[in-house]
Amino acid sequence: MQQSNIRVILIAIILVLSAAAPVARAGKASPTMATVLLPNSSPLVSFRLLFNTGPASDPKGKEGVAALTAAMISDGGSRSMTYEQIVQAMYPMATGFSSQVDKEVTVFAGATHVDNLQKYYQIISGMLLDPGWREEDFKRLREDAINYLKVNLRGNNDEELGKEALYSFIYGGRPYGHQNIGTVESLEKLTLDDVKKFYRDNYTQANFVLGLAGGYPKGFDSKVEADIASKLPAGKAAKLTLPEPEKISGLEMQVIEKDTASTAISLGFPIPVTRSNPDWPALLIAQSYFGQHRSSNSYLYQRFRAIRGLNYGDYAYIEYFPRGMFQFHPDPNLDRQQQIFQIWIRPVEPKNGLFTLRAALYELNKLAKNGLSKDDFEATRQFLSKYVNVLTKAQDEQLGYALDSKFYGIGNFNDYVRGALAKLTLEDVNRVIKKYLQADNVKIVVVTKGAEAFKQAAMDGKPSPISYTQPPPKDVLDEDKIIEGYKLNFNPKKVEVVSVDSVFQK
Amino acid sequence: MKTLTAASLMLGLIMPFAAFAQNKIFPYKYFTDDLPNGLRVITIPTDYPNIVALYIVVGTGSRNEVEPGKSGFAHLFEHLMFRGTDKFPTAKYEEIMKKAGADSNAYTSDDRTVYHTVFSKEDLDQIMMLEADRFQNLKVPIDLFKTETKAVLGEYNKNAANPVVKLFEVMRDTAYDTHTYKHTTMGFLRDVENMPNMYEYSLDFFKRYYRPEYTTIIVSGDVKHENVSQLVNKYWASWQKGTYTPQIPSEAEQAEPRTGTVDWPTPTLPWVMVAFKCPPYSDEQKDHAALDLIAALGFSQNSELYQRLVIKEQKVDSLFTDFEDHRDPYLVSIGARVKDPKDVDYVRNEIVKTCESFKTTPVQKDKLDAVKSNLRYSFALGLDNSEAIAAGLAGYIALRRTPETVNKVYDLYASITPEDIQAMAQKYFVEKHRTIVTLSHKENAKNAAK
Repeated sequence: MQQSNIRVILIAIILVLSAAAPVARAGKASPTMATVLLPNSSPLVSFRLLFNTGPASDPKGKEGVAALTAAMISDGGSRSMTYEQIVQAMYPMATGFSSQVDKEVTVFAGATHVDNLQKYYQIISGMLLDPGWREEDFKRLREDAINYLKVNLRGNNDEELGKEALYSFIYGGRPYGHQNIGTVESLEKLTLDDVKKFYRDNYTQANFVLGLAGGYPKGFDSKVEADIASKLPAGKAAKLTLPEPEKISGLEMQVIEKDTASTAISLGFPIPVTRSNPDWPALLIAQSYFGQHRSSNSYLYQRFRAIRGLNYGDYAYIEYFPRGMFQFHPDPNLDRQQQIFQIWIRPVEPKNGLFTLRAALYELNKLAKNGLSKDDFEATRQFLSKYVNVLTKAQDEQLGYALDSKFYGIGNFNDYVRGALAKLTLEDVNRVIKKYLQADNVKIVVVTKGAEAFKQAAMDGKPSPISYTQPPPKDVLDEDKIIEGYKLNFNPKKVEVVSVDSVFQK
Repeated sequence: MKTLTAASLMLGLIMPFAAFAQNKIFPYKYFTDDLPNGLRVITIPTDYPNIVALYIVVGTGSRNEVEPGKSGFAHLFEHLMFRGTDKFPTAKYEEIMKKAGADSNAYTSDDRTVYHTVFSKEDLDQIMMLEADRFQNLKVPIDLFKTETKAVLGEYNKNAANPVVKLFEVMRDTAYDTHTYKHTTMGFLRDVENMPNMYEYSLDFFKRYYRPEYTTIIVSGDVKHENVSQLVNKYWASWQKGTYTPQIPSEAEQAEPRTGTVDWPTPTLPWVMVAFKCPPYSDEQKDHAALDLIAALGFSQNSELYQRLVIKEQKVDSLFTDFEDHRDPYLVSIGARVKDPKDVDYVRNEIVKTCESFKTTPVQKDKLDAVKSNLRYSFALGLDNSEAIAAGLAGYIALRRTPETVNKVYDLYASITPEDIQAMAQKYFVEKHRTIVTLSHKENAKNAAK
């Protein structure tokens, strides 16, 4: 085999229940069921069955129920088939059915060769519309969810831990405030009934969007719509109303104490800009220039890794991008009404931790004050105008982006981005940078050994020089002198040290 | 995507499986150009519009790191190759790539280093020129070299938080004595830490391996063969052939079973991994192909063991196999993450028992057919865009330098019988050739012992 078959069952989440079922809630076919259809002649048929619901709708004390509900569907049995039977049936077709859960969106995705379409659809429609709700699936998937938080995030992935903890730090106490998978304590208390109730309340026609692409036969989409209509209640389309995130005053920091070899840093703040906002394309240019994900073609990467050898990479974001250490491109269908600007510093040697934090804020401050040069603007605009083709090169990606565009109310993603980029000027981009970016009011999460010492060093304001094996050119050393003493205006009431065991606990 | 290619793919795939099974698994027409200097170029025109994938496959990986103290150099070179030439220093290179909207990166494994770039078709000429320049004229000054070695150490450190990385590292170090598969592609930490002092050796490494006879270029996408051919001759024909052939140390037969343990410093669920020495990749002998099928039969999601340990008994939350194709005899490994430390012995024994069962009990034909079907559909369904086609081929190209090997190996899969499975299990699942490594947090291990 060319690839290792390392199947880490990261999250199984699901639920199930008695064989009694969803009959009473079937509603009338909605004449306006939302669809995104991309028919073509490919032998591959891609499904993205999307519900406008997610962990932001978890009831208080039931954090994790949205994710566990999705897992019960994608990784549990249907009423007519056990999970084992489903796996056996899908195996010869080399297909699967996965779920992705984010704050406001839950999507079920899969693809099959058109040869096997009827058989595949019969299985997945049973999973989605007639779940098995078995206790043993529930037990397994709830345990997977708890292990995801305790072992995968807290234990084995300092970078994702820091990135996810930053979101909780920024949105604490709000609908976005808990990790998508839930909290350890709430998961331990969840029951199968909680999951069934979440399904009844949220898996409605009004929340549903049918995404289909590929060479499916004529009329197939109507059949799927009819099945949805006959099984799921009509429901009401209720756009989630979110409170504003808490205002950040000065630098606020959470230092997570963990016995680990390196120091991982994430920082950011809310921005009132999503793809729906006309300023988004200009902010996209700023973000791509400053820290294009996993690209050596970005400013932060060049300053931190290429010139100083501080770490493996450094990137910036204006949209949620989980699992970034495993993939080069973002997954679609992570749509949110509220986003943050974020900088992700990959692990550095602990002795350079505070220097690197200062450097990140120093560079962000420079960007916010000075904006882009004409050359940087033109080069980044050119890059993005072509890069959108790379992002949407496969059928499933085209389908995912089309669904996103529906969420944000923009047209075809590629056309929208290219059209907007073509009209932008340097002045537009620099105006948007000044409007939304700053380095004074920022939340910071650090994962490190010796958290208390890190906190003290950060607060006492003394210089934190960088240590080199191979000193860089003089201009960089001169800049280092400025960075090592860069003033950090912490809000002393908002700087805390926490144990790794407390993160995502409740 | 209505192209001739897509149409031919459909003809291949829309047919019922029985018919699909008779067709070549790699359905694309391709062109092979061999230059006098030893460089080979494989062009695969597809009808997926606009995009071109350029994969430069160098048949050099951590396997080639034959000198003690110099592990990790193939991977270091993957980094250094982005450090510029006289004509195109890094900043200029990056600028051109950026304006092309190119998605550019690289990876290294035991047997290969692969440089991949995906971009719009109008930039093909320029990117071919740029890549040809850095492969022939790389010039990394010593200060940049040292800085880059620190980025490699940073990569080692970011990986170090993941226990699976450590599990593989200890498995190789335990199972091998002399062959270079003893170390991972990242290399031994002591060697990575010493890299800043190895500038001179890095120059030798480049001279040895970054040569046309080690290199195959795949161009897949919205291209014409004539055009690619012309560009290759224009930019790559002057590349000088090298003279170096590494003497890879052979590994003596393992004489007795081995074990290794890892004490993980922070809380984690325990892991166990069982491995046997296995044959190298072959598209002619059945051995390796049969073991591929055994790995799937015994340990994939639809296997009896997975269903029992993960779904029914719920003692394990991850079960995986690692049997990537290799040039030299490698390991077939089966690993599991165990939910309760006291079940580690049980899970290890169940994995070993499953391997043993293939020696005594012939597999059912319908189960074997399901695995063959899965392999064919997995490969075929994965070829859904130009980059996926080049990416899917790269590993095979590093081994045999032609897409034809894919067709041959899938024909081999099709020919394997339950008797073959049994014979190969008897040949390779031999106790004295086995290595078992476990990883756990000390506190967990202590609790389990109570």
